[in-house]
Amino acid sequence: MPIIVNLDVMMAKRKISSGELARRIDITQANLSILKTGKAKAVRFSTLEKLCEVLDCQPGDILEFRKDDSHAD
Amino acid sequence: MWTQDKSLNLSILLVRILFILIIILACCVPIMVHWYDITYPNGIGMIDGSIFLPLSICLYLTAICGEICLYHLGKLLENIKNSIVFKKTNCQHLRVISWCCILTAIPFFVFGFWRSLSFIVALAAGFFGLILRVLKNVFVGAVELQEENDYTI
Repeated sequence: MPIIVNLDVMMAKRKISSGELARRIDITQANLSILKTGKAKAVRFSTLEKLCEVLDCQPGDILEFRKDDSHAD
Repeated sequence: MWTQDKSLNLSILLVRILFILIIILACCVPIMVHWYDITYPNGIGMIDGSIFLPLSICLYLTAICGEICLYHLGKLLENIKNSIVFKKTNCQHLRVISWCCILTAIPFFVFGFWRSLSFIVALAAGFFGLILRVLKNVFVGAVELQEENDYTI
């Protein structure tokens, strides 16, 4: 998928563990893992809002669009 | 009180009974076909003569397809019982069941040259296979929706 989730980078910058982040944004560690590994199909605005709030960043710091050549015409 | 669980158990039981019944009937095919050949020797068809061999082959092939079909139907019902509904494995079961119905139509279509009435059975089997194929396509769509829902964080 051309949308890359840079959550682990932001977590490393803010020095926050997965468990702590999952607890603060009120999601399970399993769901956070799905998000971190890029397996997620969609992210709710409410989740994104909480992530940005806890990590003190912008949505663009977490999500990145990278053009995938395999999808090119 | 009649519940969803009881209904599923009844379906599983019926599938198992039919599975055993088909095995028993398959063992009796020569006797049944011989009886049918003697009782109704003058059926309407393009090819004359004894129907013993074509009908026997037709019934054996149908029995094989029927058993495969019932096996997958049983698996599908057990998955539903275990709350595994919109999963890829169920689509696979439905796909096999659908193909079994379509394949069943072939021997009946061929047997239709001996007994024209068999064309109707072939048409019914093919039509049923087609309906199941559409159902499988619906399931595939539902599985995609379910996965999207499961992976929405």
